[in-house]
Amino acid sequence: MTINNHETGKQGVAFEMDERGPVIFGPVDGPLERPAEKMVEGALYMETEEVMPELAARQSPEDQKDEARKALSMNLDRRDFLKLFGATAVASSAACVRRPAEKAIPYVNQPVDFVPGVANYYATTCGDCAAGCGLLVKTKEGRPVKIEGNPAHPISLGGTCTLGQAGLQGLYHLERRKGPAIKRANRTDALAWDDVYELLAKEFAGKKVGILTGGSTGHRHQFYREWLRATGGSESRLYTYEPNALYSTIAQAHAIAFGVEAMPRVDFRSVKTVVGIGSDFLDVGTSPVFLSKGFSDARNLDNGAMVRLVQFESAMTATGGRADDRHVIPPNSELLTTLALMRSLAERPEAKGTANVKAIAKKILAANSAALATAEGLGVSKAVFDQLAADMLKGGSLLLAGGSHSFDENATALQVAAIVVNELVGAYGSGLQLDRGWMVAPVKPGDMKRFAQEAAGLDALLIIDTNPAFTLPASFGFADLVKKIPLVVSMQTQPVETDDLASFVLPLNHYLESWGDEQPAAGFWSARQPSVLATTDSRQAEDALLWIAAHMKKSMPYSDYRAYLREKWKSLQASFGPKGDFDVFMERVLQKGFVGELANRGSGSLRDAATGAVKASGLLDSGTLRLLAPLDIRLHDGRGANKPVLQETGDAMTTITWDTWVAMNPGTAKKLGLRRNDVLRLETDAGKIEVALYPLPGVHPDAVIVHRGNGHPAHVSKISGANGVDPLSLFARKVDAATGMPVTSGATVKVASTGKVFQLAAMQKHNDLANRHDIVKKLGVAAVSEKVAARAGKVRSGETIRSLDDVPDLYPNLYKDSEYRWGLSVDLTKCTGCGACQVACAQENNIPAVGREQVNLGREMHWIRLDRYFEGDTDNPQVSIQPMMCQQCSHAPCEAVCPVYATTHDPDGINSMTYNRCIGTRYCANACPYKVRRFNWWTHRWNTIGDRLQDRNIRALNPDVTVRTRGVMEKCNFCFQRVRDAKHTAKSEGRKVFDKEIKVACEQVCPSDAIVFGNLKDPGSRVSQMRADVRAYLALGGDPEKNEFGLKTLPNVSYLAQVSHREGFGKGDEGHDTHAKGEHGGHGERT
Amino acid sequence: MFQKLVSPFLILVALSLTSGAREARAWWMWTPGDTVDDVGYKPTQPIPFSHALHAGKREIPCEYCHSAARRSASAGIPSMNTCMGCHKVTRTDKEPIKWLTEKYNKNEPVEWVKVHDSPQYVHFTHKQHVAAGLSCQTCHGPVESMEVVEQVAPLQMGWCIGCHKEKGASINCITCHY
Repeated sequence: MTINNHETGKQGVAFEMDERGPVIFGPVDGPLERPAEKMVEGALYMETEEVMPELAARQSPEDQKDEARKALSMNLDRRDFLKLFGATAVASSAACVRRPAEKAIPYVNQPVDFVPGVANYYATTCGDCAAGCGLLVKTKEGRPVKIEGNPAHPISLGGTCTLGQAGLQGLYHLERRKGPAIKRANRTDALAWDDVYELLAKEFAGKKVGILTGGSTGHRHQFYREWLRATGGSESRLYTYEPNALYSTIAQAHAIAFGVEAMPRVDFRSVKTVVGIGSDFLDVGTSPVFLSKGFSDARNLDNGAMVRLVQFESAMTATGGRADDRHVIPPNSELLTTLALMRSLAERPEAKGTANVKAIAKKILAANSAALATAEGLGVSKAVFDQLAADMLKGGSLLLAGGSHSFDENATALQVAAIVVNELVGAYGSGLQLDRGWMVAPVKPGDMKRFAQEAAGLDALLIIDTNPAFTLPASFGFADLVKKIPLVVSMQTQPVETDDLASFVLPLNHYLESWGDEQPAAGFWSARQPSVLATTDSRQAEDALLWIAAHMKKSMPYSDYRAYLREKWKSLQASFGPKGDFDVFMERVLQKGFVGELANRGSGSLRDAATGAVKASGLLDSGTLRLLAPLDIRLHDGRGANKPVLQETGDAMTTITWDTWVAMNPGTAKKLGLRRNDVLRLETDAGKIEVALYPLPGVHPDAVIVHRGNGHPAHVSKISGANGVDPLSLFARKVDAATGMPVTSGATVKVASTGKVFQLAAMQKHNDLANRHDIVKKLGVAAVSEKVAARAGKVRSGETIRSLDDVPDLYPNLYKDSEYRWGLSVDLTKCTGCGACQVACAQENNIPAVGREQVNLGREMHWIRLDRYFEGDTDNPQVSIQPMMCQQCSHAPCEAVCPVYATTHDPDGINSMTYNRCIGTRYCANACPYKVRRFNWWTHRWNTIGDRLQDRNIRALNPDVTVRTRGVMEKCNFCFQRVRDAKHTAKSEGRKVFDKEIKVACEQVCPSDAIVFGNLKDPGSRVSQMRADVRAYLALGGDPEKNEFGLKTLPNVSYLAQVSHREGFGKGDEGHDTHAKGEHGGHGERT
Repeated sequence: MFQKLVSPFLILVALSLTSGAREARAWWMWTPGDTVDDVGYKPTQPIPFSHALHAGKREIPCEYCHSAARRSASAGIPSMNTCMGCHKVTRTDKEPIKWLTEKYNKNEPVEWVKVHDSPQYVHFTHKQHVAAGLSCQTCHGPVESMEVVEQVAPLQMGWCIGCHKEKGASINCITCHY
């Protein structure tokens, strides 16, 4: 039967039910909440006896059974049993004198700048992708315990992405290789490093040696070139490869159009409109933190008008989720869409750009007129493009095109077309900087094309810190190419698939153990220094190469890579000073983390070559399902897959953990008779895979989306080994002609059900707000202006402005006498759902990853949850993401129900949780209306490899936070260790804690600056101002303007309503309001 | 208030009916979580380092060696170069000093046995207590007269709270437990 869910029918979302529950998705949890068939075995987790071995030693299970039997046979009442139990416990523990003695082992020679118990921070540069974000690494007693963005660094601006935040799990990964190994015939032998150098020096002598390596913008590639030359090879045998093809296509397109192999630096502040065509700049993009920070800044309502994002896409990305206007286009029609926009722009007399630009645009449009004739089929009318063109020309604007879900044969052509569009709107010089501080491309475009041609002629290949065996589609033929090379050396920081192809497998230092540098923007250098000595028997790749060269008797004049860098940095000192002692300069650079100033160059003009580079085919036939394989926002190309914390961070749009899923339009799924969790067989001419379905609103009906990242073989990692599938196996050999990068979208795919069901570990099982109007609030831009004007009017007429805290209340003012009242505010307009906060929270607060089975039981441990809600049209919904952490209620329902006072209220407003007092009744979790309390069902292993490695190395634990054991409740406590540290410092300096002094982990990491923490008692603090904003509201706090106060929990966390330029945005809310009066209207009074 | 009393009350009743006060202490030893009253704990250290000599007779201030106490949560055990600062020249003929010098030259640390040890779920900060003007002896006893250091205060929560109440310091749970 078909029923409309409450009144949401008017918004166009209809839920169909059958005997198994909702067919596509629905607010009721139905069969998805079914408990697991059997209990997960204890092998993964510690038994009590493991935690307290003395317990096991003292009382064997037999004894315990005896006691229990005795107690039962004596037919005692509970009170007597307690007495007896107490007595036996006394008897059994009499032999025990005290806990085991602990050793205190001081340094032999304590470093000068070291105080035990006080953290040291090292500035360095992230090495997990090629973006070059500056980091501050917090070390305690010599161990890195937290990665934070360097707030002074212009690329990271204090934030990190999800992947970068998980870097510590790479450093401490228990599966890192312990030492070098050589593979001979059927066996693998351990080797000493000296033997490695000796053997390789012998092998390399007089041979054609090539190096294949990952992206870098610093001196690393230059060093490899110098090494190749010094050892008698050719510099041209350096091949750079980055699975994120956006780098090479953008650089290649700018080489074609301007003769400059670079990427423009995006400045969102100088534009009013941002257009994305198949772009994923907030998900992965080219520099996710830099772009998110910039975009978030431009989305600030305080800075005047908020920048408008118009996105055209066929997948449902986090970027699309933030869009004000989102247009769903068929897969692989990004180039056609760009041309349609170019046509509308070229037709307008006020179009910017020189006559030359306009002429090139005309030529391109003329050459593609046949393709353009099919543009009607995009599903976006010409009127929309015309209107958009007019808007783009009114204020500043820019176009960002291409992303990993739109990477097809036209990828470089798309970038060239985008360049022409950007010239037509005058973006170069304002929103896009190519002449000053342009972004350096981390790879040389076309290297993969060269590699495919030249690899067969190589005698030896060094593969350094890149994993092409997994990140290239099998059809690219990498394995076959490499098999032709007699000697392959794989140098990696962690075990990867490429090791299988190599005869030498050498472990590399993690970037936290390495020296290096990056040059993210031209002229701007970011330094990398080790924050810990190598934790395994690994070497830095460059040092190993220097040793090999020395054994070849062709040594380079450097003792190690650090010496090489010092030599190179001498020229930086010459350019950027201060002059004088080089060591002083270097100390300063390492302390600050970066040096330099943005380079300038003369602006070039658009070359005619651009014309020939754009050749669009017409619209592909609609109704054919096409496979897109984007990079995953957390796992990236698979490099994050062996990190439990990333596997357990939900995907932004689906909240799925640990698995690979196939996302399809719910309508298409329904048409094919498919439901969530049905296992589908996806078949192309290149292969087939089986993967479970997640019907995702907002996906184009022809698009079939499977994210990359999972699907590693079991021997590579126990973490990633059993997870999901790799969609790249479905792509037949096709490359983007200009760069040689393999195509990863657009394969025609056949979809069939296998009849099997697999429960995807999605953390959120519902999609809509179930008509609650006080969870996520939405406002149109106009509504915000109205509210601001109304408030200004009230101020003028001297009316009091009602604060959020002004709730009718029987209780006295809780915070009357306290100096501080800690509060947090979250701007829902800015949050993209990337999940970096979840990772940061897990690292800071020692939160374990629990694994797929436990997530399916609803037992994930995240202290901060990212709730995602869809509203409106299933084909193109409005997306809201709400970070939900403990709301630190002033009238907390959890506190009243705790039978042992384990959760109490701090006078500063923090709802505290005393783990050692908690007895695990879980009453508090039941009472919590926000569902943010987490119960430890197990003592999760920290330091051993169980059947499946799920946890962190014990050395990565934050020593400032208690590790919880089984049977204890836990939740967000506003990173109290940071609050206490700051309070102590302030007290010793005889002052109060000032604003911004405390940054809680989620706030610190947020690449969108959506979260702000501070003192609500200080009216000038950022958080107070946000709480007093016209957009501010309390979750489940009703609608105070209408004298409805919801649950009256009076949280110290407030939210700022989501704002969008989208037409009709927030109108749904008002509809709810009228309804809410009828049905929920009384709840304010009832509480 | 009733809730707060009920569970300790029950346990106390149960214990008092079955055993004397000494065993009641033993009961707490049994509970998971290290709430042991270790008054009188006096472990043997690798070498007979005498606080009575150094802090008492020679009047070396506590913070000369435990210099982290005013800067950090941890008071810190002095590193060996602190010892060797003097003992490169003084008393080099004594057996323990010879032993120490040998270890130092081999770059091996001394493994002292921890005397004062609070459970991991308690976050005690030396820095704040030093800043508040408490003398080390308030909690550690007359260390300057001890040949072998022993624990004199119970270091249990009731003992902490007693002082905190007396001095008007915070007695919120989260001050120490998080």
